[in-house]
Amino acid sequence: MLGTTITGINQRQHVGLQKLSALAGITYSSLGPNKKYKFILDETSGESALVCSCFRIFENLELTCAVGQLVYETIQAHQKVYHTGSGCLLFLAGAWSRAALECLQTGISVAHIISAMSEGIDICLDVCRKCSISTEGLDVEQSESCTVTLPGLQLSKQPLVEASQASSHLQGTTTVGHRTLNRSEQRRVKLSRYFYEAKSENVSTEPQPNKPQLPDMTRIAEGLSHGCADAMNLVVKASRIQSKNNPQDNGCSTFDVSKVVTCVLPGLPEEQTCVLPGCVVLVSAEQASVAHHLREQHLKVALINGDLSDTYRHLGFKRPTGIQCVSDLSDRLNSSNEEEWIEKVMKLLLNLEVNMILVTGLVGEKVIQRCCRHQILVVEKVKASVLRAFANATAAVPVTYATQLSKHCVGTGVDVAIWRDLSSHKSKPSTTVNISTVKNSTLVTVVLTSCVHAKLQALEDQFWSCAYRLHHMLKDKVLLPGAGVTEMLCIHHLQKEADHRVQHHRERNGDAVQQTKAGTAVNPYRHVVLHLMADGLIDYISTVMVNTGKYSKVRARTAVSQQLQDYNESLGITARFSPLFLEGEQEDSGVSSSMKSSEAPAVKIYDNLSVKQEAWRKALDLVLLVLQTDAEVITGIDQKSDGTQDYLTLL
Amino acid sequence: MSRLVKKSPSLCTDLPLDNTDICNRLHLLRQLLRSCIGPTGRLKQVHNNIGGHVITTSTSSVLLPAISSSQPFINLIKTSILNHVSRFSDCGLFAAILCLSLIEQAKQSGLRGNVATSVNKHLLGLCTSYLQQEDCGCKVKLDFCSSQSLITLARSIISSKPACVLTEREALHISKLAVQAFLLTVPCNSPGIVSLGKIVTVSVEGHSVLNSAVFPGLLVDMPDVFCLNKVENLHSNPMRMVLFSTSLAGDLSDLGGIIEVHPGVDTDSQILDQLLKLGKQVVKDDVKLFICQKVIHPVLQQYLRSHGIIVIERLGITLMEPLTQLTGAQPVATLHTTIPAKAYGKVRDLSIKQFESKIMLHLQPPGDSAICTMILCHRNETMLSELKVVCQKTEHVLRLTLREPSALLGGGCTETHLAAYVRHKSMDKVTETVSVLGCSQTEYLRGVEGFCRSLESVAAALEHDSGNSLMDLTHAHHWSHPADVMEERMEDSSSVCGCGLVESSTNQKWTYLNTKYPQFSPAPLFRVPTVQPRVLDSFTAKLNALQVAVETANLALDVRYVIQDMN
Repeated sequence: MLGTTITGINQRQHVGLQKLSALAGITYSSLGPNKKYKFILDETSGESALVCSCFRIFENLELTCAVGQLVYETIQAHQKVYHTGSGCLLFLAGAWSRAALECLQTGISVAHIISAMSEGIDICLDVCRKCSISTEGLDVEQSESCTVTLPGLQLSKQPLVEASQASSHLQGTTTVGHRTLNRSEQRRVKLSRYFYEAKSENVSTEPQPNKPQLPDMTRIAEGLSHGCADAMNLVVKASRIQSKNNPQDNGCSTFDVSKVVTCVLPGLPEEQTCVLPGCVVLVSAEQASVAHHLREQHLKVALINGDLSDTYRHLGFKRPTGIQCVSDLSDRLNSSNEEEWIEKVMKLLLNLEVNMILVTGLVGEKVIQRCCRHQILVVEKVKASVLRAFANATAAVPVTYATQLSKHCVGTGVDVAIWRDLSSHKSKPSTTVNISTVKNSTLVTVVLTSCVHAKLQALEDQFWSCAYRLHHMLKDKVLLPGAGVTEMLCIHHLQKEADHRVQHHRERNGDAVQQTKAGTAVNPYRHVVLHLMADGLIDYISTVMVNTGKYSKVRARTAVSQQLQDYNESLGITARFSPLFLEGEQEDSGVSSSMKSSEAPAVKIYDNLSVKQEAWRKALDLVLLVLQTDAEVITGIDQKSDGTQDYLTLL
Repeated sequence: MSRLVKKSPSLCTDLPLDNTDICNRLHLLRQLLRSCIGPTGRLKQVHNNIGGHVITTSTSSVLLPAISSSQPFINLIKTSILNHVSRFSDCGLFAAILCLSLIEQAKQSGLRGNVATSVNKHLLGLCTSYLQQEDCGCKVKLDFCSSQSLITLARSIISSKPACVLTEREALHISKLAVQAFLLTVPCNSPGIVSLGKIVTVSVEGHSVLNSAVFPGLLVDMPDVFCLNKVENLHSNPMRMVLFSTSLAGDLSDLGGIIEVHPGVDTDSQILDQLLKLGKQVVKDDVKLFICQKVIHPVLQQYLRSHGIIVIERLGITLMEPLTQLTGAQPVATLHTTIPAKAYGKVRDLSIKQFESKIMLHLQPPGDSAICTMILCHRNETMLSELKVVCQKTEHVLRLTLREPSALLGGGCTETHLAAYVRHKSMDKVTETVSVLGCSQTEYLRGVEGFCRSLESVAAALEHDSGNSLMDLTHAHHWSHPADVMEERMEDSSSVCGCGLVESSTNQKWTYLNTKYPQFSPAPLFRVPTVQPRVLDSFTAKLNALQVAVETANLALDVRYVIQDMN
């Protein structure tokens, strides 16, 4: 007989909150721009995984306890939408669960903790909303500052003098054309930035573009790279390719994350990582020769949503179970079923003059061979989003069965090119082929390479988190000041609000008649809880600072409290928090080499508003759910065998 | 030869409620459920022992099914509470706690089994007849002219489940939506027998609760974005639609038994031919919307779409009934005959609604219809699933008000008020009652005390932060008193009672719950129209819960033997 057991959670020593705090501890070192790798070993199988992000750690841990499950579900849900910020979520869940524990230990009731913490998160989210910077405003501000701080201009100061000297020298020697020369001198000064940049080759490898928006996007992206400058570089490149192919784009603001695919190539050095327009896939040598044959042609494409085989049936189709064949010659006929189907499909494909088939599912070996013979390139395991992109760009209609194909289902205007031959491997698919559409192509492939196979996952994750940070920036149209500035503001506001409430409460107690009619009892512990919440954020900032390697824990905390104090004292004047973990960040941000060499002012660091708000909210939700839980009900316990453990109570 | 295993004898427990193990388990169940009740109740994490999905809840309808025990008493109580919940949705925890308290009190009082049950029964009669009275002091008439009291009722239910993690504002938003949705299900001007419509709930994870909304009509998932292009150019005049309940996947699975076929016969293509024939008829009959409960063969889909028909497959069984109500279509269950004209339904105003990743087709009824869709959003799955349960519960409770437009004062005030009333009322005609019940006067008084304490213990259960529960000695309303506030500041710590109708005043006297106090007749409240109760409970659900609790407790007290088959 299976029964149910109940595990009580002691109120003062809330086990659930302790578990949450302990789980959060796992991810301390993966916070901030300087992330550290971790090995996760499976002792039973001897397998190990190299992980870098909070999400991957939890994916590999296989936690079975209830709190662990809850944490994993939360992180998974967050990761699915935002692809970044899971570490922050978990850290704060841990920090605030410690705050809640401390409250419980001092005897504050659960109801009071909940109401104060909910108020605290409202304060924080409000601060976020208020201190967010519009990206449009940012453009203006940035382009203004660009004229002052762009490296090209700064560096050009020195030659500018020379140039004017040169022209004055000219002026002195030749009297003819005095005016024109003067005019040219003026013009030269105006355009000196471009003029001199073109000359001094070692300063900037890329010519500065004319549009002011471009460097802004780059700069914002740089500020959002959070230590993954290389990954963000790839994102920016992808965005540039998409912008170039987008006729509506007048600046450089296109970035459609759904049109980006990654192609992971192990074994190549990391320098070969690159971004290409179109869709890069790995194919076998045989297919590569087909691709070679088809290059530089406008191809006709068919899109198959499913497997390309005779036995494949659409999703939801139930295979008949009770069918018996009544025949004398069954064996001869059965063997040719597949042949017959292939024959039929090939005939159709040739009739429609299809050169290429993109299939989301699998394709049988025989089919591939037959297609190769007819110079038709078949690509299997294509992502659904890629299929959609090709459908949009070529007007092809995806079908489930090849037999459904008709003239209007076939799209036109696809290009194929062999990107690289990697045929050092043996039987494996070894050639990368780039498929792209002639028109409306916004599909971009990011080719990620690494000699260390285990690193590829982390590289891919980093790329996607950068991509989504940019995506959310464009979606939110606002940014938060990063590098701890937003957190500092929140801490300041939480502390201010806490002290304000204390005063307010005292006033109230002195005058008992002033009781509210609404019945909202005063929460006497609001200030304690708010202070503890602020401490959680301080903990977060100082941990990130420690992770940069520039601070000890003590120094980080002193720096934070020093800044807070300064801010409080100079309040009213235009006091601002300066970015705290910039020093560590700056080292990593080698996005543009010119920036570094010129010692331009530090890169501004940004955070995503929606990501931060959502991560904080989710962190508190976790804490509140666990805080309010006082028992675990475990079902399906075999009472004879498991019922003996004394911490379990059988019902 | 097979070996015979000796059957072990059955185990018989005499007077099971005297058994400490059984009493301990009942006590544990009471503790477990007691800790769940009310807006500050504690949550339970329910999961299996192999690390399955974790449910965090404090709702009896979710929690109780997870509880299984080898103890028949627990199963008895569980089953009867779940039965109540399935019929009335609300007050499951109230019934369970009251029932378990009654059993415990009866055991403590040391009354003979049949005395306890007959006193309980008598007192139940007192309570129910009082609650049915016009001048019942803990009942309020619901005013349908204003949505205020309905919203209060809805909010009381919604905010009583802390696992939803709602702020005040969010709770109010959801309460308003629940009432709005409920009102949409009441048909406006249909003569004759009125049948209520339906609320279809769609949950969307990862969004703020404030994004939740209610739409008249139905919203159905459109997972395939390819078919969207045509929708925009649809007009608002009603268009024909057809609804299939049979699978149109083109397989033979619906037929049973063994079919013998000739190898040259291609069954798949024959069925597909049949499907396409169906498609041709539909096109000919000018159908614009084609919906199937199950899968539609891709070839048929392609055919229909090429003729400008919107195709929706995998609708799911839950949406079938509301959709037939909305469109007037009759679900077609076969693909082997022509579709009769009367099977077609009508829809109007097709449009696309998008909730982030979820794309849905909004169908409006051609005429008046009482179907609406409630989109519930919440930040995570755990809280969303609790919110969904709570909203369905609210819908049910609001429906119950149509039959009996009353509500009971919430926040424990009904319980304390009833207890005070019973204490007072049971003193009338004691000798006659005693002779009818066949017990001594002291036994009767002990029985009354046990019953009233059980009622009060439910009110006291609302307090979870080791605060005190009190009752005023004028109106017998329930007051709670936080543990961390000093005694002398009682007045300002709880300025209003649990339901919000009584305000504290200096000449008021209180007593702690479950202490002796002189019995008194609870004074009726002179209702000031401006003061509205802040917490209301469902009248119908609570009345039934009261009956279920007493009857279940009486049954349990009546059990003399438990015989368990040990094989």
